[in-house]
Amino acid sequence: MSGRILFALWVVLSQLSLASTAQADTVDCSRTYTLALHEHGLLYSADTDTGIDKDVADELIRRSGCKVTVSLMQRARIWQLIESGALDFSLSGITNPERDKFASFAWYFSNKYYLLVRNDSGVGNLSGFEQNDALKLGVIRSFRYSESANRLVDTLQNSNRVSQAGGLAPLYQTLINGRIHGMIIEPFDLSALEEKKIRAMTTIIEFNDSAVPHGLIMSKKALTVTQLEQWRAIVNGMRADGTMLRIFEKYFKPELAAALVNF
Amino acid sequence: MSRVSVHNAAMRVLLALLPWLILVVTLGVTWFTWEHERENSQKALRAQFDFALRETVSRVEQRVVGYTQMLRGVQSLFATTSLKNRTAMRDYVEALQLDANFSGVQSIGVEEWVPAQHQPAPLGGSDIWSDPVRREAAQRARDSGMVAISGKVQLKANSDPHAPPGFIMYLPIYTQGQAHDSVVQRRAQLVGWVYAAVQMNDFMASLYGIQMPGLTLAIHDGTDNTEASLLYHSSGGAMGDPSRQAAVSANEYMVVEGRSWTLSLSTQAAFEARYGRGIATMTAVIGLVLSLLLALLAWLMVNGRERALRLAAGMTEELRHVAQRDPLTGLPNRALFRDRLNQELARAKRQNGRFAMVFIDLDHFKPINDNFGHDVGDQVLRQVARQLHGSVRAADTVGRIGGDEFVVLLAELGDSEPVLVLAEKLHQAVKHPFVVAGHEMSISCCVGVAVYPQDGADADALTKGADNAMYRAKEAGRDCVRLCNSPNSPERSALEISPEEVV
Repeated sequence: MSGRILFALWVVLSQLSLASTAQADTVDCSRTYTLALHEHGLLYSADTDTGIDKDVADELIRRSGCKVTVSLMQRARIWQLIESGALDFSLSGITNPERDKFASFAWYFSNKYYLLVRNDSGVGNLSGFEQNDALKLGVIRSFRYSESANRLVDTLQNSNRVSQAGGLAPLYQTLINGRIHGMIIEPFDLSALEEKKIRAMTTIIEFNDSAVPHGLIMSKKALTVTQLEQWRAIVNGMRADGTMLRIFEKYFKPELAAALVNF
Repeated sequence: MSRVSVHNAAMRVLLALLPWLILVVTLGVTWFTWEHERENSQKALRAQFDFALRETVSRVEQRVVGYTQMLRGVQSLFATTSLKNRTAMRDYVEALQLDANFSGVQSIGVEEWVPAQHQPAPLGGSDIWSDPVRREAAQRARDSGMVAISGKVQLKANSDPHAPPGFIMYLPIYTQGQAHDSVVQRRAQLVGWVYAAVQMNDFMASLYGIQMPGLTLAIHDGTDNTEASLLYHSSGGAMGDPSRQAAVSANEYMVVEGRSWTLSLSTQAAFEARYGRGIATMTAVIGLVLSLLLALLAWLMVNGRERALRLAAGMTEELRHVAQRDPLTGLPNRALFRDRLNQELARAKRQNGRFAMVFIDLDHFKPINDNFGHDVGDQVLRQVARQLHGSVRAADTVGRIGGDEFVVLLAELGDSEPVLVLAEKLHQAVKHPFVVAGHEMSISCCVGVAVYPQDGADADALTKGADNAMYRAKEAGRDCVRLCNSPNSPERSALEISPEEVV
C-alpha cells in the first residue's frame, strides 16, 4: 500500500517538474521585444552586419519564436535604456553592483582583460603605466572592466589622464597617432591587432584578475521575473547543446573558443 | 648657571621666537587650507566640465538620431513607390515641413544605382561616385544597410567657396521583397540611396538644450585635429587664443553613424571663474593677511612686555642705588656700609681674618659751608670722597655716613700689615691739596681706627671703638690718627691746616 502511495507521489512530482521545465522553455511572446547591438570588435561590425552578438541574437530570436526588433546603439545609450526599461535586451554585458539593481544577466562566456600599450611608452607592467603621468589611457564611455582594470581607469580619470571614446575604431586610431598611449582590450578586440601596424607598435599586458563573465543583459524594469527565467533558460540551453561554442568557433580558434565558453 | 636662570633664558628665546612661530604656523594653516580649497575647486571644475562634455556629446548624438529618423522616413517612402517617382519624393519632403529643428539640412535627395554601369545614375546632379569621401560613405551604407555619414565635404549648395563645411548622410534602398541579410545580398539588391546634405554650423545650431557658457567647442572629422579636418568651431572657425592655456580640456572620440568625430572641449576664463579658483585665491589672500597681522600682534605683545621688564629692572636698579648710595658723593651710605661690614665680619670670623674700620671726620668743615656756601662745601666733600676712594684697594669700602664724616673698611688685612700706616695713608689722602671753584684748598681730618678682632668682635663694638678713637683724635688737637686700644698713640700729624689758613 505504502509502495503505491510513494509511486503516485513520484508521478505527481515528475509531472510538476516537467511542467516547470516546459514553462521555462516556452517564452512569453505576447509583445514585440527590443534588443540593441553595439559595434565592438568581433562582437558586432555594422560594416558587415556580422559578429558574435549578432549570431547569438539571431539564435535567441529563433529559439524564442518571439518578434524582436534589433537596433544598433552606443553602449552608454544601451545601459541608459536598459535601466529605464525602454530596452529589453542587449548582449555581452558584464555586471557590477550598480547594474545589478536594474539588469539581470544570463552568462554565456567569460574572459580576461588586457592593457594594450604603445611600445614607445616604455612601460612593461601596469604600475609603470599608472606611474607615468605623461601616458594617457583611452576608454569607451560607460565601459567597465575587471577589478584592477576599473581601479586603473578610476585612478587615471582623477588625474585627467583618460580620453573617452564612443567605440573601438577611434581608440585604435588615436592609439596609432599617439594621442593615447594605452587602451583596455578583450579577446574579441584582438582582430584589430591583426592589422600589422597596430601589432608592430604595441605590447599586451595582462591584468591580474580572474576572468569576468559576460552575458545577455535583461532589463528588470521591462521584463517580469518569469520572463527573465524563460530567456535565461534559452541561453543555458544554447550553452548546454553546444550552440554557443559553435558560434564562438566561427570567430576564434577552437581552444580559445572553448576557454571562453566553458567557465 | 642655575635652573631658574636656564629656564628664564629659554623663556626669553621662546618669546623672541614666538611671533615667527605664529607666522610659520598660520602660514602653514593658510597653505593647507588653500591647497584643500584649490583641490576642491579643481574637482568642482572638473566635475562641471565632465558634465558639460557628456551633455555636449549626448546633444550631438541625439540630433544625429533625429536627422537619421527623418532620413528613414524618406527611405520608407520608397518601400511603397518607385525610385523614379520624383513627384512623390518632392511631395513627401514638402510634407515633412522641415522646420528650424532641421535647419542644418541643405538638401534631401535620392541617387539611383545602375548595376550595369556599376555606378549611380544621378537624379540631382550628384557626384557621389567621383568624390572618394562621398563614395566611401555610400558604400558603407550599402554594405551595412544603415545610415552612414560621410567625411567632411564642401556642400555644393553653398556658392561661397569658403562656406562652412558639412557632411552627407546616406541610407540605402534595396529591391522590395528581396532579402538583404548579408553583405552579398545587400550589394546585389541595392537600387539606390536617399541622402541628406547637412551644413555643420546649422546642424550645431539646431542642437537641443543649452551649451554651458565659457566653453570652447570644436568638432573635427576623424581623430586628427587639423585645420583641414575642422567641421565646427564655436568661435566661428577661429582656433582660439593659442597663448591661453585652458585649465581643463578634453577630447572625446565620438562614433557617429560609423564615422569618427573628435569633439574637443576646453574651458575659458569665464567658466574657470564661475566654477574654479575664486574661493581658493580668496582663502590664500585672507590667510596671508591674517597671518601677518597675527604675527605682528604677537611681536608687539612680546616686545611690549620685554620693554616693560627692562624699564622695571632699570627703575629697580635706580631705586637700589638711591637707597644704598650717598646722593652727593655716590659712596655707599650707612646702610650699604653696614651691609659690607657684616659681610666682612662674617668672612673674617669664618677665616680667622683681620680687618679694620676707620672713621674720618673732616676738621673745621662747617666754616667752609658758612664762608663759601653749600655749593663749595659739597664740592669739597665730593673731592675728599674721590681722594679717599683713590687711595684704597678694590676690596676696601669707602662710605659717607654723615655731613663731613666718612668711614673706610680696610678688608682682608694680613696679620703683619701695619694698620696705622694704612690709616695714615688715608689721613694724607684727605689732606692732599685740591682746587675748588678757583681756590686751592687743603683740609685736615681726625682719624679713628678699630681692628677686628682685637678691638671688637661685632659691628657695634668695632663702630664704637673707631668712633671713640676718632674723638680721641679730636681731643688730641685734630689732624691726627688714633687707634682704638692705644689712647696716646700715635703721634699727632705734623700738618694741621685750617680752612682759614688755606684761604
